[in-house]
Amino acid sequence: MAAAGHNVLHLVWEVIDSSFGTQVGLEDLGLLLSPLVLTGLAAAVTLRMGLWNIGAEGQFYAGAVCATAIGLFYSGPSPLMLVAMAIAGVIGGAAWICIPAVARAFLEVNEIITTLLMNFVAILLVNALCTGPWRDKAQAITSATAAIPYKVPELAGDLHWGLGVAVLLAIAMALILTFTKWGFEVRIAGGNREAALYAGVPVQKRLLQVMLLSGGIAGLAGMLEVAGTVHHLQGGISNNFGYLGVVVAVIASGAPLAVIAAGLLMAVILNGGIVLQSHGVSTYEVLSLTGLVLFFVAAGEQLAHYQLTTLAPRQPLP
Amino acid sequence: MIDLFTGILSTAFLAGGVLALGALGEVLAERVGVINLGLEGLMALGGISAIITVSQYPVPTAGLLVAIIVGLVFGSLFAAGTVLLRANQTLCGLALTILGSGLAAAVGRPFSGQPARATFDSIAIPLLSKIPVLGESFFSQNLLLYIIWIVLPILIHWLLFSTRHGINMRAVGESPAAADAVGIPVTPIRFCYVTAGASLASAAGGYLTLAFVPSWSDGIVAGRGWIAVALVIFAGYRPYRVAFGALLFGIITALGFVGQARNWPITPALLSMFPYLGTIAFMIVPALIWKRMHRRLAAPAALGVGYFRDQD
Repeated sequence: MAAAGHNVLHLVWEVIDSSFGTQVGLEDLGLLLSPLVLTGLAAAVTLRMGLWNIGAEGQFYAGAVCATAIGLFYSGPSPLMLVAMAIAGVIGGAAWICIPAVARAFLEVNEIITTLLMNFVAILLVNALCTGPWRDKAQAITSATAAIPYKVPELAGDLHWGLGVAVLLAIAMALILTFTKWGFEVRIAGGNREAALYAGVPVQKRLLQVMLLSGGIAGLAGMLEVAGTVHHLQGGISNNFGYLGVVVAVIASGAPLAVIAAGLLMAVILNGGIVLQSHGVSTYEVLSLTGLVLFFVAAGEQLAHYQLTTLAPRQPLP
Repeated sequence: MIDLFTGILSTAFLAGGVLALGALGEVLAERVGVINLGLEGLMALGGISAIITVSQYPVPTAGLLVAIIVGLVFGSLFAAGTVLLRANQTLCGLALTILGSGLAAAVGRPFSGQPARATFDSIAIPLLSKIPVLGESFFSQNLLLYIIWIVLPILIHWLLFSTRHGINMRAVGESPAAADAVGIPVTPIRFCYVTAGASLASAAGGYLTLAFVPSWSDGIVAGRGWIAVALVIFAGYRPYRVAFGALLFGIITALGFVGQARNWPITPALLSMFPYLGTIAFMIVPALIWKRMHRRLAAPAALGVGYFRDQD
């Protein structure tokens, strides 16, 4: 960024001040944090299984679409509708990862590529819906659906309960992975598949369950974004949260509680990006910065485990 | 009917060229045991650097050359991470994709939507262009197509399967420890071919913006990098099959274009989903039908695994 001619120190101060210094800044931070924690969790559970779900972006959209469908075309008391939308979001996300999950579990088809390709399909689907059948005719300019009448209740100011859901889910995931038989089986299957098979863990079944769970969490993130923050469906609603979730999960090395901290770091970076836009730094520069961070995490992870070893000298044969 | 067929094939050669070039680069990297998931980012970087070059100096070859150099630079960065530091290859690839796509979009904003100032022009080859369908669809297009569809597949196939050096390369990809034991320089070979593969991927981006589209806009790569990675798996890491597969994918893309142009009774959104859904189908169906064949076309054994001498 210094290369682009900005006073870096001044900008850094500006970012910190606007993120933590004001009430609005903190609320914005929280609004970015909840989807990041959820998509981070989605990627983290698969990481624990030794899998990569790069398709959280697509599952996020799918969850948003399903939740929007419920919110737009059905009506009922608000709490009931919110629960229905959440369930629809989870099902949508899980359905979106279904094909890659089954292909991975039973045919060993590389899940990285299949989950990622589904993202493009989801983006096309959302754009088609928002410019076509679901488009709000009242607003001529933007291509988005009509506002959804059901809103996730607020926690403080603009910040809604999505953050609470995200944090609770992170804690629940940590407990499940650490203390239940299911979580133990997932962890050993991720650590050493052959050993897990030998120990009688139904690896294929766990694989499938973990991927569906991951998709469901990402779908829930999409539902919360629609019902809590944006209040309608539009193209680009996921704001790269799916991809950033992978980064969050990697920084947290797959530990659900660490996802909250890593999500906070990413939220500060993102919020910084929004602040910096007024100084002529684009979101793309922020995105490329994230890529660089990821690269250094990858390299650093390796270097952290680097140690010099001396081999024991061979005993001469008798 | 013949016209329609010629049109589809001609678009298929053009569109599939991007995939073929990127996938051939990926074959080089994967054969020596490194999976490069950064193709998407490399293509974006190559595309924008080619566009910027021709906007200053309107010679298409110069644009392609700069794209190749940019690919070498970022490829060596990736290779430094994966081969020298032995960092997680999946992670480094994702990082390269995010970094490349973001950087290209940031640098490319002033050029968005403008047509390329110089492009690779079509040249009809005297006699060959008179061949009925193939003449018009293949021998009347830009010269890069011959390199992509004929020269490179033959060259890489020859390198991999007919030379001593190719045996060494494949040994490094199958069992680096064994290769190291017989004195093959594992790390240099990996580094060189990962970087070379990355430069081909970047060149694919240059081809995309100078010959196929030809302009720059945000998100123009649109998953072609990932489709190229999938194509390599589908093709069983073999150059001729990669070229054939790329043509197949090109035809799928072309069907989408033709369908839109001729108002087929399918929604345009579904037609644009074709390439992605097709790719997923092509990854699943072979695994479903030919289990044994799937095994014969298996990945190099050491794919994705960093090599440490003196450890396992």
